[in-house]
Amino acid sequence: MSRGARVAFSCCYWAFMVYVFVPLVLMMLMGFKDSKFIGFPIKSWTLDWYLGIFGDATILSAFGYSVAIAVLSTLISIVVGTWIALLLDGHKFFGRTAMFGLAILPALIPGIISAIAFRIYARLLGIEPGMLAIIWAHAIHNVPFVALIVMARLSTLPRSQTEAARDLGADPLVTFLRITVPWLIPAILGASIFCLLLSFDDFVRSFFLGGYQPTLPVLIFAELRSGMSPEINAIATIAVLLTAALGFWAERFTRRMNRSPGR
Amino acid sequence: MRDGRHASAGARPHGGNATGWGKLVGFAPYRALVSLIYASPRRQFILLAAFPAVWVLTQHLGPMIQMLYVSFTDAYPVTKGVDTQLTLDNYRRFFDEEFYRIPFYRTLAFATTFTFATLVITYPIAYFLTRIVSRRNQLLMLLLLLIPFWVGEIVRTFAIMILLGNNGAVNLLLRSIGLIERPIPFMYTGFSISVGIIYLTALYMLLPLYSALEKLPRSYAEAAADLGAGPFTRFRRITLPLTLEGIASGCILVFLISTGFYGTPVLLGGPSTTVFAETIAGFFYVAGDEWPTGAAFATIMFFTVLVVVVVFQRIMTSLRRGDAR
Repeated sequence: MSRGARVAFSCCYWAFMVYVFVPLVLMMLMGFKDSKFIGFPIKSWTLDWYLGIFGDATILSAFGYSVAIAVLSTLISIVVGTWIALLLDGHKFFGRTAMFGLAILPALIPGIISAIAFRIYARLLGIEPGMLAIIWAHAIHNVPFVALIVMARLSTLPRSQTEAARDLGADPLVTFLRITVPWLIPAILGASIFCLLLSFDDFVRSFFLGGYQPTLPVLIFAELRSGMSPEINAIATIAVLLTAALGFWAERFTRRMNRSPGR
Repeated sequence: MRDGRHASAGARPHGGNATGWGKLVGFAPYRALVSLIYASPRRQFILLAAFPAVWVLTQHLGPMIQMLYVSFTDAYPVTKGVDTQLTLDNYRRFFDEEFYRIPFYRTLAFATTFTFATLVITYPIAYFLTRIVSRRNQLLMLLLLLIPFWVGEIVRTFAIMILLGNNGAVNLLLRSIGLIERPIPFMYTGFSISVGIIYLTALYMLLPLYSALEKLPRSYAEAAADLGAGPFTRFRRITLPLTLEGIASGCILVFLISTGFYGTPVLLGGPSTTVFAETIAGFFYVAGDEWPTGAAFATIMFFTVLVVVVVFQRIMTSLRRGDAR
């Protein structure tokens, strides 16, 4: 490839990097602005907005609420998703394709439609808008991702390992617990972090299924509608740092795992 | 699997194995459980399949079925003592009033534009990462690029608001280099929505393209070059046809996702850019008894999106087959 073409492609990459990073960096900087108004230029700087977060009960409770929802919905998604993966991997049965399609359906429905469908169904099930409803909706929405990640890992498990265990006299349950489950642990960990982030970041389902207590994204949305202040920058910055760090780590972790299926 | 522990595998029930596994296996109720579960392959399969089957039918499919049902009723939530009537009025409302149809067409036009724009923006980047960057740096550069995509929808939308506002960074930059005197009103237009939504969806295009290009051996293009094909011909005859599958899945994902955004168009858009998601949401917020209409509108959108995706998939498949010949 010619030198010019290389430079052109390289420019595309770095231009895209600017596009995806600069807005976030600017947002973080804005949190240090010593003024009530958002906008450039920044003339004087302060740490007050960041420090203010720790004294703000609304923000702290929204944060805790989001974390609790993320953890609980992830637990459900992991169990159900892994179970579905175990069924779909290595079993041939009537309706397997339909089962697979239904299993990944929640991930493919556009956000607003899935939120509305959950809102209506929650009424049918008698779940009031609030924490339980959000956990339930997030759990269902995240099941497909767990199933896909676990299936990918399960397909790399060498048959010889389970067969060897059986030959050595282990019963099927022990084989499952001591061969299959340890093999799946990296995938389950990766999928958990993925689910935690999806749930923590989710807006549309939390918005339609939430009660009076807002999750963090819903709180930020509400504040943005009523008027911007650098305090939102400070909250958002903390959310960025947390999610980006966790996501980066998880992505690296799962890619390594997939690259060397043995170890 | 890591060390010698495995050799004992808790294997023999009566081996006098002192490990936890050995004790467990020797435990009578446990053995009863195992023989109960694994009595026959048929029973084992039923035990494995029952829960997922019930779950996907009631939790994955259930909400969609219920939405479909509600869209044909005259009132929901149901008032006590009043019988629900089945009706087509909710759908008629969509076709009667242009006020509702415009956001619908706008959503489809937006989603198509965003999908195409995302493809054009991310293809060179995927190409750069898989063909030009050395293997060692490839993963690192990809992961670096993915960091912002872990940040949530609302936070990133807010970041775009700061970028594009009248006192935003872009306007400040343009003013300070003297290109403009008054700020350009980027916000609350189709432009600001595009910048926001492409930011949110680029990842879903980039990853399928990346894996499609990574799978494609470099030797194909090299062979074509040896046979005298120029860069453009190589791209059109080799790279593009052989990455059509990645392009198709990326486009489908981005199209599906970008039709579903609600928060971003609310925050970045204005009255002239109302999308269908906002129309649907209105029926759930303004008045509670309009849920059936909202459900009908959501159903219309769902099936339209489904048809678009299926048709697109068909076209892509036939394109692939045509090229194989």
